[in-house]
Amino acid sequence: MLPALTSTDAITEAFRERGYIADRSIATAVFLGLQLGRPLLLEGEAGVGKTELAKVLASSLGTRLIRLQCYEGLDVNTAVYEWNYPRQMLEIRLLEARGQADHATAHNIFGAEFLIKRPLLQALEGGADGEPPVLLIDEIDRADEEFEAYLLEILSDFQVTVPEIGTIRAERPPRVILTSNRTREVHDALKRRCLYHWIDYPSAAKEFEIVQARVPGAPEMLARAVVAFIHRLREADLTKVPGIAETLDWAAALMALGAAELTPEVVDETLGVVLKYEEDIRQVRGETVKAYLAEAAAGR
Amino acid sequence: MSHDPAIVASGPREAVDGHRVLQRAVGFGRALRKAGLAVDLSSEIDFARALGIVDIGDRELVRAAGAAVFTRRRDDRPVYDRVFDHYWRRPSLQPNLEGPGAEQRPEAVPADQGVPQEAPLSGDERSDLPDDRGGMPIPTDGDADEDELAPDVVTISPDAYSHSETIRHRDFDRMTAQELRDAERLVDLLEPRLELRRTRRYELHRHGRRLASRQMFRRNLATGGEVLEWVWRRHVRRPRPLVVLCDISGSMERHSRLLLRFIQALSASSAVKTESFVFGTRLTRVTRIMKDRNRDRALAKVADAVTDWAGGTRIGESFRDFNHRWARRTLRTSGVVIVVSDGWDRGDPRLVELETARLRRNCHRLVWLNPLAGTPGYQPLAAGMRAAYPYIDDFLAAGTVASLERLGEILAGGRGADTRRGSEAAAHVAPSPDAIRTFAPPPKVVRTPQDPFAARPLE
Repeated sequence: MLPALTSTDAITEAFRERGYIADRSIATAVFLGLQLGRPLLLEGEAGVGKTELAKVLASSLGTRLIRLQCYEGLDVNTAVYEWNYPRQMLEIRLLEARGQADHATAHNIFGAEFLIKRPLLQALEGGADGEPPVLLIDEIDRADEEFEAYLLEILSDFQVTVPEIGTIRAERPPRVILTSNRTREVHDALKRRCLYHWIDYPSAAKEFEIVQARVPGAPEMLARAVVAFIHRLREADLTKVPGIAETLDWAAALMALGAAELTPEVVDETLGVVLKYEEDIRQVRGETVKAYLAEAAAGR
Repeated sequence: MSHDPAIVASGPREAVDGHRVLQRAVGFGRALRKAGLAVDLSSEIDFARALGIVDIGDRELVRAAGAAVFTRRRDDRPVYDRVFDHYWRRPSLQPNLEGPGAEQRPEAVPADQGVPQEAPLSGDERSDLPDDRGGMPIPTDGDADEDELAPDVVTISPDAYSHSETIRHRDFDRMTAQELRDAERLVDLLEPRLELRRTRRYELHRHGRRLASRQMFRRNLATGGEVLEWVWRRHVRRPRPLVVLCDISGSMERHSRLLLRFIQALSASSAVKTESFVFGTRLTRVTRIMKDRNRDRALAKVADAVTDWAGGTRIGESFRDFNHRWARRTLRTSGVVIVVSDGWDRGDPRLVELETARLRRNCHRLVWLNPLAGTPGYQPLAAGMRAAYPYIDDFLAAGTVASLERLGEILAGGRGADTRRGSEAAAHVAPSPDAIRTFAPPPKVVRTPQDPFAARPLE
């Protein structure tokens, strides 16, 4: 049976069981979001586990995760609902063929069976068991301001108006997680409706725990070395510093290669897993790698 | 909002406590607002409810709960933490909140308990907080919109204030009427000509080139799918966002008045989204301040916010700050960056080169306005200018309004608006120091042939 998420400790524990190591401030933010019925806006650099948190939350609550990936130009038709025009068209033709087309059928073709429900509407309707789903609105900063404005209405009232049908209201509002990579500032009006949490890079100890949880079987020595090296990289002047996702990918890649420890050669070969910009790789490869490894060895 | 475990579930005695908790929450919210956070009543109520459901004996839990409710951006956090430490330090508080004893000693929690603790904050506004924004003097006049402003006025460079910097206060207010008119005329010229970007959003339009199939189906349902009416759509177009980086170092002193005036007029215009930064030895974001339609107040506030007036220049460091902290948030690769600088730089030219290349890769087009470029025989020989030069799409004189008119043309994406120049150079930049040193482009000035006045710098 799923544990009830009725305290921050329960959340930390439930998340840990699912391989997500949350610190207390994240757990508190999630807890308050659940208790106060507020959407939770998560910001942080790419690859710190914002999206993952929503997945883990859904699995901890034992509910469905409904995900809406944002992009520029995202509109109501793809986010909320759309009429199934081809089907309506067919229906009319059928009725005509049967000689049944009249005024009443004109109303019928705007019935629920011709409505295609997109993620936001699905989230409002809830699951079959009545449990409200977790709604993940991913990378809201990629959507444009028009869509953000539309979200305001949904997130404050949890209802959608379809002109032909009427207002659809969530009986139990979904748990909403929004994420943003901060490629632009999310509008204040939206922020005001949300709880806010900035997810930072974890401490070395925490990141080591994460590696152990997510890459089972990684030798402890290797995991520690990987984490130490990544932490050193995050201090360097790079175009894009590696996130937790990169740490995990790297640990997995090293295991696949059968590397037992970090040597300069191994690091140079696999640097592309960690750094995603050519200039960053060139800056670090070779001497810098050696220096970082020596530093890490001295620190241990 | 209707189901409130903190208050609904409580009996009469807890209801009293709930009231007190709300008072504390509101008091704390007020202290945060004074410190510059955008706190509203609903977040104070949320916080009160949060206090009802988390263990208030646990200070860190209360801190985390307040952070989730009150902060809205990462930069809010340090300010929040400072106010939190300040406000919640009274050890007597926690027993009072939880305590059954609270009722017997009502004097222990007077209604205005928050006030004495706030007092140090409310005195000289935020400047009493020790060094909370990297040594930036925070504007202190009592305008209503001041509170909103503060979080945005962030001194970017984290390094501590250095005494070797020449700190001087620039006086903007003494601008001649002619200068004023010039700056405004310039913006009038610019506004209708801004380069448009095709967004991914569509609008219905009679002269659109694409069929709006969805709307067409809809409109033709009445005829059972027989298409009698054609519906067209086209892309919505918007002006590209502008980012202005203006050099305010000593060598630029003569020109900065006109140029800042120009930037202010641009920022206050609603036609285009403008982010503005000024830099000398450090980068300061002045976007919010510049948006003030009262131009004198705007410029006076800039003068207050900036600590490195008329000092030295570190173009490389300033660009690096911008690339690291602001580029992704303000440009999204589709913006136009306008740098206003004479290229005199005290730092390492290699850094300037590296960071300019990076800047160029982050934007749609890089325009450099140089007040000196109009001088006859000018060559970009200053170390910083030379380093940055290959990555610039448009290099323009910026001394006079007449010479700046060409900027309008450039921003409109019209004649001579070629973005290939900078982007090709930036694509090939090699980050290794050796490669950079051998990269010595022949300096060449883009002249503005139709403009005989370009040769005359300001004043």
